[in-house]
Amino acid sequence: MSGTVDYPNPDAGEAARFLSQATFGPTAAEIDRLRQLGYGAWLDEQFALPASPIHQTVVKTRSRPQEELLNSFWRQAATGQDQVRQRLAFSYSQIFVVSMISSAVNFYPLGVASYLDLLGASAYGTYRALLEGVTRHPMMGLYLSHLGNQKEDAEGYQVPDQNFAREIMQLFSIGLYELNPDGSIRLIAGDPIETYRTEDVVGLSRVFTGFSWAGTDKSKARFTQRLLAHKADEVVRPMEAYPQFHSVLEKHFLGVTIPPGQIDPDADLAVALDTLAAHPNVGPFIGRQLIQRLVTSNPSPAYVSRVSTAFDTGRYASGSWSTGTGARGDLQALAAAVLLDPEARARPDIGDTRTGRVREPVLRLANWMRAFNVRSSSGGFRIGRTDVGLAGLGQSPLYAPSVFNFYRPGYTPQNAAIADAGLVAPELQITDEASVLGYANFLYGAISSGVGISRDLKADYSAEIAIAHDPDLLIGRMNLLLTGNTLSTATLAMIRDAVVAIAMPTRNQTSARQRRVWTAALFTLSSPDYLVQK
Amino acid sequence: MTSRLSRRDLLKRTAALSLLGSAGSFAADVAAMSTVAAQLDEYRALVCLFLLGGNDHTNLLVPTDTETYAEYAAARPSIALQRDTLAATDLGPTASQGGRSFALHPSLAGIRQLYLDADAAIVANVGPLIVPTTVSQYLAGSVALPPKLRSHNDQQSAWQARQASGEGAHLGWGGSLADRLMNTNSSNVFTAVSTSGRPLFLSGSSIAPFQMSTSGGLNLKPAGASLYGSARGSVVYQQMLTAGRAHLFEDEISAVTRRSLDANARLRTSLPPAGSLSPALPANNLLAAQLHVVARTIAAQTGLGTNRQVFFVGLGGFDTHDQLVPQQNALLRQVDTAVTAFWSWLGQLGRRSQVVLFTASDFGRALASNGDGSDHGWGAHHLVIGGDVNGGTIYGDVPPAAFGSSVDVGNGVFVPTISVDQYAARLGRWFGVSAADLDLVLPNLQAFDPDALISLF
Repeated sequence: MSGTVDYPNPDAGEAARFLSQATFGPTAAEIDRLRQLGYGAWLDEQFALPASPIHQTVVKTRSRPQEELLNSFWRQAATGQDQVRQRLAFSYSQIFVVSMISSAVNFYPLGVASYLDLLGASAYGTYRALLEGVTRHPMMGLYLSHLGNQKEDAEGYQVPDQNFAREIMQLFSIGLYELNPDGSIRLIAGDPIETYRTEDVVGLSRVFTGFSWAGTDKSKARFTQRLLAHKADEVVRPMEAYPQFHSVLEKHFLGVTIPPGQIDPDADLAVALDTLAAHPNVGPFIGRQLIQRLVTSNPSPAYVSRVSTAFDTGRYASGSWSTGTGARGDLQALAAAVLLDPEARARPDIGDTRTGRVREPVLRLANWMRAFNVRSSSGGFRIGRTDVGLAGLGQSPLYAPSVFNFYRPGYTPQNAAIADAGLVAPELQITDEASVLGYANFLYGAISSGVGISRDLKADYSAEIAIAHDPDLLIGRMNLLLTGNTLSTATLAMIRDAVVAIAMPTRNQTSARQRRVWTAALFTLSSPDYLVQK
Repeated sequence: MTSRLSRRDLLKRTAALSLLGSAGSFAADVAAMSTVAAQLDEYRALVCLFLLGGNDHTNLLVPTDTETYAEYAAARPSIALQRDTLAATDLGPTASQGGRSFALHPSLAGIRQLYLDADAAIVANVGPLIVPTTVSQYLAGSVALPPKLRSHNDQQSAWQARQASGEGAHLGWGGSLADRLMNTNSSNVFTAVSTSGRPLFLSGSSIAPFQMSTSGGLNLKPAGASLYGSARGSVVYQQMLTAGRAHLFEDEISAVTRRSLDANARLRTSLPPAGSLSPALPANNLLAAQLHVVARTIAAQTGLGTNRQVFFVGLGGFDTHDQLVPQQNALLRQVDTAVTAFWSWLGQLGRRSQVVLFTASDFGRALASNGDGSDHGWGAHHLVIGGDVNGGTIYGDVPPAAFGSSVDVGNGVFVPTISVDQYAARLGRWFGVSAADLDLVLPNLQAFDPDALISLF
């Protein structure tokens, strides 16, 4: 890992744009660092930061574990050094969804903390390893009900649970239709080709039988146990095989047949995951979604194709810089391919009407925290849920309504020019008449008074207050830190209008300076220019 | 029945005129005729209650005769409801089902009373179809089928779309029914109202869903009298949020904000206070909170300028692969509490015969047990509730709770015997959409008998 990427060291605006895509948001210090190092060396530095079980460590040692899980997420998003790893973990949490909305899962916040740690730890490994980690994690087992899933009964009345078999194909690996490497749907005689049929779900459902909590014995009692102590060791350990509950029927799926009589669940699982991970759909299917989570909702086919190639070859090079082990599905190569692609790095043209993505509410709050060096009064980073109440943010990480995430990759708002243009805008699925006001009201309080339980988190605006007498300096700093200098001239003029309307007295300027900073921050973070990350 | 004849006549004439190349002007004629045909002077509302995840319909409507219950219990080891728990929700012998007896799920005591009062009906084995389909046709793959059966997102879409289309469809039948009658409203901001996301169901060609908060009208705090103490700031802020934009995503966000500000201002002045409805809103019930604001909106129809409205409310958690019995118990208890409260509110408002609430869900679930839950199915039983409903009976045919029946495509997944289009058509007819317009709203309807549920109202 060395060499020089195709791009010169970025200017401040370009650095901030990159950090919006690769991290939970720019800070003044990180912009400077990236400008010094350049993209390649900066990424090398990030890739070298070791994984740590940070979230489970936090949750394990505290009371109120449901709240602490979220606090830990936000602490790491706002202040963690391993920004790329955590941003990828958050992105993968929206593809390989486990949700605390589920009552079965909600009982085990420590388990979900370890799931988030797993996604982070897997972010620079291979897709095959990530898929196995996800499949064997007991929280996924509870969420999609393959934990304790039993083989068919002798009478033929009871059949294996098909839930995980279906969703691992539809959502976690290959999707519904065969894809070209550029992400488009393969057509034969004008028709799409389904990747799997009901028979494949049935065959694969037999593989995902006979897995349950890890443990010394493999008793029926342990296999079928629903309630453990909520911080029991088993909730963070990969599920293990219980051969007596594993289907021994023939398992036929995706052109592979495991003959009847196979009694080793682990061996069958390896065949299934190998088959899925080798499927040519995975690169474009997962790659396109990662582009959508980090860079743009509507990547060009060529962009998806380059990302698929990095996935398939396990390498990505830009100039003399390269990364990846060469193993298929190398996720470090995938991430680099997404972030360093010419389409990601090109500044959008003035007048461009379709590039970019809507920032989801969680990222907006994280941007604010990082840009203004947010501090926890209690030291506990007490945020808790952010999706409830009228003046809520409208989204909590790890609380998607279903395994289909907060929004679908193909969502297009109806009755809008976006649909006519043939574009998708996933995050607009949670942008509606109620949420737009909720977000503005949330911001209004957050910016001036802080967020969280008893407003535990407050921004430190000292750098902005120092320049608040100069509207252009102040607005320029907001524009850089929050949008990578992508505010339109019209928006800049409106922010200026509102800022200068707050007169700066000759003496006792404290209140005026503060109100100018709040106003500039509120306007910037509410502006449609900001809400669409370019 | 006469409407059916005239509809056929219209279709023939449409075809004939299309050949003459004057379909455009004829379409206008058809629209004019349909407006005359419907009785549109009185307010009407459809409320879609979507049970997200796929409700287990076999435990919604349980056979209770000695033989049929035994068959049911044998088919569902560990997930069959105990017979003694069904006594309080027994519906008795049902003439439309050859005298077979059924009970509603034990959590649905309130809805069972509506059924006994003939205000609630059950429609059996409904689901998305393209054309009437038999098991052998399904197995042979010889007829067109809705895409991606048993996939949640696609079947939610298939239930809500005009043509049983999968995810990505653009037009839903609720919004499309409203399209046909939007001229009867003086304002169409609140013609299609959702309290649960931005559902396809409410998207028409002209009608777009409005997302309403369960608390009613919202305020934009920074655009009040002042923004951090600055009156100028609050004015400019609102300008910035609502100005038209060149970027398509930005423009959509501004458009939503504009709509929201206008609409919420009207809601704040028009909706009756939350406390005006009796009984009080049941606590800890997400669905009741949604139906509560729906009732308040219905009460305000004159002030809001709506004569025809379509609502969408939703409750999640029905994907019971696991822990089916306890989970469904709790969920249906919420449904029962919410729906019976809604019924009381409608009674207080004198609106019971002007509103029809019906259920929908991703799919039914397989009869087969997977140990403590059931997997994704297809056809399912649904509830239709309203003062105009000819309730107290079951429409369609309830398949036996047994494997290998004439509608079992495997594992006790039932091929629907009533299509969503037929269900939608009957609801649409009641809503006031003419037979001719129903063919426009539901292009696949022509393959089915549109009068299958004629007696429902």
